[in-house]
Amino acid sequence: MSRIEPDRALRIVGALALALGLIAVPAVFPDFRVYQLSVALTYAIAILGLNLLMGFNGQISVAQGVFFAVGAYTSAILMTRYGVDYLATLPAAVMAAAVLGLAVGVPALRWQGLPLAFITFGLAVLVPPLALKLEPITKGATGISLVKPSAPEWFPGSQDTFLYVLCLAGCGLCVLVARRLLRGNTGRALRAVRDNGLIAESLGISPAAVRLAAFTISAGFAGFGGGLFAVVNGFVSPESFQMTKSFDFLVGSIVGGITSISGAFIGALFVVFLPDWSADLSLAAAGLVYGVVLVVMMLLARDGVIGRLDALVKWAARASSHRARSRQVSGEELDARSVGRQYSK
Amino acid sequence: MQLFFQQIIEGLSSGAIYAALALALVMIYRATRIVNFAQGEMGTFTVYLAWQLDQWGVPFAFSLIVAGALSFVLGILVFRLTIRPVLSASESTIVNICIGLFIGFEALSLWIWGADTHPFPRLFSDRIWTFWGVRLSASNVGTLATLCVLAAGLILMFRFTRIGLAMRASAAEREKSPLVGIEVETMLMLGWGLAAVFGFIAAVLVAPSLFLSPPMMVAVVIYALAAATLGGWDSPAGAIVGGLLIGVAESLGATYLRFIGSELKVGIPFALMAVVLLVRPQGLFGRTAVIRV
Repeated sequence: MSRIEPDRALRIVGALALALGLIAVPAVFPDFRVYQLSVALTYAIAILGLNLLMGFNGQISVAQGVFFAVGAYTSAILMTRYGVDYLATLPAAVMAAAVLGLAVGVPALRWQGLPLAFITFGLAVLVPPLALKLEPITKGATGISLVKPSAPEWFPGSQDTFLYVLCLAGCGLCVLVARRLLRGNTGRALRAVRDNGLIAESLGISPAAVRLAAFTISAGFAGFGGGLFAVVNGFVSPESFQMTKSFDFLVGSIVGGITSISGAFIGALFVVFLPDWSADLSLAAAGLVYGVVLVVMMLLARDGVIGRLDALVKWAARASSHRARSRQVSGEELDARSVGRQYSK
Repeated sequence: MQLFFQQIIEGLSSGAIYAALALALVMIYRATRIVNFAQGEMGTFTVYLAWQLDQWGVPFAFSLIVAGALSFVLGILVFRLTIRPVLSASESTIVNICIGLFIGFEALSLWIWGADTHPFPRLFSDRIWTFWGVRLSASNVGTLATLCVLAAGLILMFRFTRIGLAMRASAAEREKSPLVGIEVETMLMLGWGLAAVFGFIAAVLVAPSLFLSPPMMVAVVIYALAAATLGGWDSPAGAIVGGLLIGVAESLGATYLRFIGSELKVGIPFALMAVVLLVRPQGLFGRTAVIRV
């Protein structure tokens, strides 16, 4: 398409505004908020992985928090026990989580659909007590403290700002990888398997292989986020990776919009700051909001905040161009996406 | 050897609870092809209601009956408000809704009744009989008897009543059943209501030993999922056998495998589930799904 359409232009402007806002953060907010935002960015990476899996490949995982935890522990253990440089631990965190994803995916993905939900649900319940039990490796309930990397001399800001910029760079990398995966043949294969496995298969795509690859990659994203989280947080313990962490990611993914990249960031901000604000009211408030939000979004807005924004922008663009074209016969294609049959009364 | 038999009895007794919840899951799955992850949390919520009534001085038996009836209504409401509108949507949409219900109900219990655990009255007397050194408590017997009554009730209903027949018909042929005058939607509502009652009963049976707390049923749901997977998702008999097997495996595993102990017991159903999915994904009693292209 040679011409830039109005909704596309608006989207580009939105993305630029978001990027500028993210860069301006350390100048405006105090260190603690900057730290919180860094944590939100690490969550956003895990949520982005979940979006690839859920939004673009149509699978569901309730265990994204588990892969996040595996990445965090991998980084923390490599840094404290083996003295590996923090940047060098991140690829290892990705690998560890991806290998676990592969191991879990094999039994879960041979048969499409619900088995993956069971297995990941079980994994989310199982892993917190497992982290406690593996005390020689994970140091049990005490957790692992590590020294946060300090800002290099050339860096003109505090340690927290430096870590924030590090997370921002990590996010940028992940967004690039995600965009690359969604473009071209890989993206088409992912979506084809999501939309109709049989047709995909008849086109020479192996749905099982694509699903397994998507699940592994998604776990790798979570592992990367987890590794960054360990570096930013300076402390890793089972307390940070309860079952609810996996639910946080799920909620974040759905709130932002599962088929969007920028939605991951909105979702991450939501799950980091909502519990923070609602804790004064009741510790249960965040959970209740999550539950209600999940159900209501599924009923009313399955494409999340970004999806609604998109629809709004498209609607505005159509309304403005409508008057200009009202006299012309437009050759628009018929949009028949939501036509279905229903038999029961 | 005594320890072995003792563990088998304990395993069967907790297995009966898993089987009750697995029956609820299978019932819903057969009717609507949905796995209700929130069944356990809904059960916890309704048991809290029973506990609250008991605290207010309502006789215990009566408060159980009232809470049981309320759970039936709750099951219907949940179906009407959250599931019915998306019945034909994709699998992941519905899983997300069920997870939302799971989080929501747990948070609701936490909000209303707090995080403290409460003792819940025993349903059965604390008599214990001893045979050849193996102790058999009234609660073991009572739990297994409850499962038998539930199973018998289901069989009688599905085999010999009009409503049971209509429910089976609407589960098997959702599109054709209206043609012979079956109110499919009513049947689905009934199914969800009944399943909620089963979840309530499972939670009542669990509560005395685990104590009442908002996350009480989280692990039990995993056991029930494993039980239904092991037995086969379209087979109620499979759910019962699967539940009992999982209970025994858990009890023996926690006793004899040192690494597992009591903290990692939940690993046993998880591992069994993974093995079943690898080796025999339709479960012991399930039929292989045939998809017509």
